[in-house]
Amino acid sequence: MSRLILHRLFYGLLTLFVVSLVVFLATQALPGDAARAMLGRNATPERLETLRAQLNLDDPLALQYGKWVAGLFVLDFGDSYANALPVAEYLGPRISGSLTLMGISAVIATPIAVLLGAFSALRRDRAADHATSLASLVVAAVPEFAVGILLILAFATGALHVLPAVFAGSAGSVLADPVQLVLPVATLVIAVSPPIIRMMRASMIEVLESEYVQQARLKGLPESTVIWRHAAPNAIGPVAQVIAVQLGWLAGGVVAIEFLFGFPGIGLALMDAIATRDIPVVQAVTLLIAMVYIVVNLLADVVGLAANPKVRVSSR
Amino acid sequence: MPSTPAESSHHPADSAPDSSPTRRTVLMAGAAGAVVVPALSACGGGGSSDSGGGGRLRVGVAGGSAQDTLDAHQPTDNTDIARCHNLYESLCLFGTDYTIKMALAESVEVDGDAKLWTIKLKKGLKFHDGSAITADSVIHTLRRVTDPEALSTSSQQLSTMDRDNLKKVDELTVEVPFTEPYVTFRELLAEYAMGIVPEGYDPEKPIGAGAFKYTSFTPGERSLFAAFDGYWQGRPQIDELEIINFPDETARVNALIGGQVDAISQLPHSQLEVVKSNGNLQTLESETGMWLPFTMRVDKKPFDDVRVRQAFRLIVDREQMVDQALAGHGSVGNDIYGRFDPAYDEEKLPAQREQDIDEAKRLLEEAGYGDGLEVQLVTGPISAGAEAAAQVLKEQAAEAGVTVKLKQTNSTEYYGDNYLQWTFAQDFWVTRNYLSQAAQGSMPSAPFNETHWADEEWIRLIKKARATVDDKKRNEIIRQAMKIEHERGGYIIWGFVNTLDAFHSKVKGLEPSVTGHPLTSYGFHRVRIEA
Repeated sequence: MSRLILHRLFYGLLTLFVVSLVVFLATQALPGDAARAMLGRNATPERLETLRAQLNLDDPLALQYGKWVAGLFVLDFGDSYANALPVAEYLGPRISGSLTLMGISAVIATPIAVLLGAFSALRRDRAADHATSLASLVVAAVPEFAVGILLILAFATGALHVLPAVFAGSAGSVLADPVQLVLPVATLVIAVSPPIIRMMRASMIEVLESEYVQQARLKGLPESTVIWRHAAPNAIGPVAQVIAVQLGWLAGGVVAIEFLFGFPGIGLALMDAIATRDIPVVQAVTLLIAMVYIVVNLLADVVGLAANPKVRVSSR
Repeated sequence: MPSTPAESSHHPADSAPDSSPTRRTVLMAGAAGAVVVPALSACGGGGSSDSGGGGRLRVGVAGGSAQDTLDAHQPTDNTDIARCHNLYESLCLFGTDYTIKMALAESVEVDGDAKLWTIKLKKGLKFHDGSAITADSVIHTLRRVTDPEALSTSSQQLSTMDRDNLKKVDELTVEVPFTEPYVTFRELLAEYAMGIVPEGYDPEKPIGAGAFKYTSFTPGERSLFAAFDGYWQGRPQIDELEIINFPDETARVNALIGGQVDAISQLPHSQLEVVKSNGNLQTLESETGMWLPFTMRVDKKPFDDVRVRQAFRLIVDREQMVDQALAGHGSVGNDIYGRFDPAYDEEKLPAQREQDIDEAKRLLEEAGYGDGLEVQLVTGPISAGAEAAAQVLKEQAAEAGVTVKLKQTNSTEYYGDNYLQWTFAQDFWVTRNYLSQAAQGSMPSAPFNETHWADEEWIRLIKKARATVDDKKRNEIIRQAMKIEHERGGYIIWGFVNTLDAFHSKVKGLEPSVTGHPLTSYGFHRVRIEA
């Protein structure tokens, strides 16, 4: 078991390395460099030259990449080209802002989706079940960006004017005005829930038809005890993996949502950094997102393995 | 994924002074001038006429990114420009009609051969930290702007200033020598990127003399400023000013509608109706000197033949282009820039050029392109309306048997290594006077000579105008230069763009301005928030 986890960790690190290399080369392949992007139309040859020298953009690519990787080993992500701040300092408040947004969304989405899935299973083939299934299918098919736009139209600028349409707060204090978080969180919750709902429904149906649940019913236990003490805990196992994967998706999904709501997190920082060819920031953010994915998938695997006695025994 | 908005222009919007009284009266009469449009009748508000005053004004400005800066002399993006206008003060300033007025300077005078300028400061002026604004501050600022180690946005325009021989005459007087005649120095001194800073100035803790002093700043997000009691035009009526970045235009409009900001710059035409239908909001439309030309390289086939250039100018239906590319929010151009220059007197300039397909065909035939011509036009989201204008041109050119192939680029590619090398492309320029614009875009030494214009006769006239101190004589020379460009230049100047801003009805004091900078040149010292 532990060997398996170490194995996975090693591959995770390898993946990160490949991601960093691909992202580095991809940003290099974009037309124009940081100096051009920053100076824009003010890019007189003299100013370009001065800035390129300042940012060491004239170094060979391998050297630029090497320097950056070497920095990683001492947890130095370099300085942002765009504003000369250390990347860690610039991204710090933004990371905590995004994590807050993702955290709140996860805490709300997980129990709601699990309960909805269970409810659907219990009402199997009745109107409520069909409605839930259809709704989760539709939402799953709509990109999260569109969900956000529809919510804005419905609650902020169109039909009703009850919620703020954009986040105009500060990354350092996202909870200062919680009402501004309602729509971005709602968008993420709606986007992240359908797979969890569908998995929970399927898993619950399977458990409800299993022998021990039939057994519990024959014993004459009250229905609520049967469902919440015997069925639900056993149904959660397979769903845990899906939940983990969905939480991993949040790390990427947050990019589009932040852009839409003007939420100053890592997503907005990434869009910004791509536009200005701010490679140190692009690298740091993509690695962070990749890392969340890898860790979450690892956790999902571990949960899956832990729930499977055969594996537990055989891979000592 | 939305691409980076073109509206966050990397473009030093700039300068220019006096517009002739005749021109101005026309504007003020609203012939095509700016108008504040109350969006329906303001409901609520109860018509309270008390001054209100105080409070924080929250402004959503287009653009902004991680490279935001507070440096007085290095602004690139709109949000930088908005901050410069409020944090710093220059020696002169542009009025809403583009006339030059004295700001920190009492007077800026030039001697006979336009090579020596004398700046006199007003008495008793203070910076935000209470220190006096003196001749030393002016000298320090001019030297900082021209520092070869950190070239500023204005450095190129001061390349002929003799920076080693700036002379302090007394505490309030500075003599500024130039190596060549330079008659437009006042225009440069009125630029927002020419704010006077004290000796020992540090952009990290910026001290200026603007209406608002620095409180806090987060690059890529927002900045906060507080009213400066010692501002030379009197303390602003609001207590605090918050400038918030909005790279995304939808978010910007939504923030205004949702009441999270009180005013926004650069309302997209597509969102005008949304704002107008809201009783609590007002729009502000300003006619400006901003133009989105097509650029024809005069040294490259087919545009090296003046007849082809003339034909292309005759192909354009200007009214249609303004209607379609700018949704009607603009006015037609006559292939001459510097419309607010005192020299720009329609009476004394060639008549408005109109579409004439037959004449265009005849000229093309004469030039040897009788059996069709195909050109590539490079376009991109460089400014609102540019891509639409390219589409319209493509259609109009077809009528004359000319095939225009569009090459689509993004901003970064457009302003990349091939910028200024495209044979046929577009660009955008803000309000400037003729000589300043020529120095930026048309002289052989100009940093952005995109048409590769190098007409000997024209260059002689510009050099002569630069050395002519007498306004009347200089304007006459400038008009001769204008006529030459109108006849054989490389620009198609089909129109001038109106800017649109929007704000909450409780925000009072903003007015139209032809400078091309949104929200009365971000003039928040004039704003009052009604209770």
